Amino acid sequence: MARVYVSSVINSRSDRVWQRVRDFNGLPSWHPGIAESRIENGEPSDKIGCVRDFRLRNGDRIREKLLGLSDFDLFCTYSILESPMGVENYVATLRLTPITDGDRTFAEWTAEFDCVPEREAELVSNIGGGVFQGGFDALKRQFGG
Amino acid sequence: MIRLVRSTIIDAPTDEVWALLRDFNGHDQWHPAVGKSAIERGQSSDKVGCVRHFFLRNGAELREQLLTLSDLEQSFSYCLLDTPVPLFNYVAHVRLAPVTDGNRTFWDWRCSFSTRKGEEAEMARMVGEDIYDAGFVAIRNRLSASAGLEGRA
Repeated sequence: MARVYVSSVINSRSDRVWQRVRDFNGLPSWHPGIAESRIENGEPSDKIGCVRDFRLRNGDRIREKLLGLSDFDLFCTYSILESPMGVENYVATLRLTPITDGDRTFAEWTAEFDCVPEREAELVSNIGGGVFQGGFDALKRQFGG
Repeated sequence: MIRLVRSTIIDAPTDEVWALLRDFNGHDQWHPAVGKSAIERGQSSDKVGCVRHFFLRNGAELREQLLTLSDLEQSFSYCLLDTPVPLFNYVAHVRLAPVTDGNRTFWDWRCSFSTRKGEEAEMARMVGEDIYDAGFVAIRNRLSASAGLEGRA
């Protein structure tokens, strides 16, 4: 089982950051790597079990299922149903925690998955350094540091 | 039931912060409110269930019991057994997490407790400011002082 953990500090209150990232269909509005997204079967994007079908800027298409969403604990958990990445049993969680000292946000993005051993380092680097850190860098820019 | 959360960012890796916080009997070495402290029955301070018996600088005598300690999660929990102030069912949790983007530490310190009617605000202020916020400042100063010493060496 491979694990990815990336965390960052966003210079805004956690409820504001949560408003930005809560929408399971909203990746294109804040993540620079995502070109377009839709929720299958016309379901609302906060219905647990809904599936997002989205396309990266490099053309890859990924389908992910919403497993958990909490407006109280500010986290979102999802799994990959279909992707060209070569991962299995992929489950990821994006979680926000308030930093009371300065009204900032501690953001954590974790993933666990299985893959062939020779591709693990590359996948961990692409997912952690590319997708997750890329998302945090974008949020830091959008929220001014 | 009152729930209190305080959190901050310390400009040092989690291992350095954890090295200071992990010792359940070490708070008299770094927390400005704490006078002398000892673990009862000669037990080790990382034995879950051990009790620290300590005095605040204002003379108050307290006993707290270690409920959880995890080197993997860099977290611990404890509860108050005896205190002269009206803090009832006080359970606190300390958790560190790495900020991978910058090699810093996220430190979360939270608790729940009840108290006498009318004293909620003062108890929350005392715990939040005199204990938690003051602890953050003390650890931050201590780590920046030791970083300064290393820089000169």
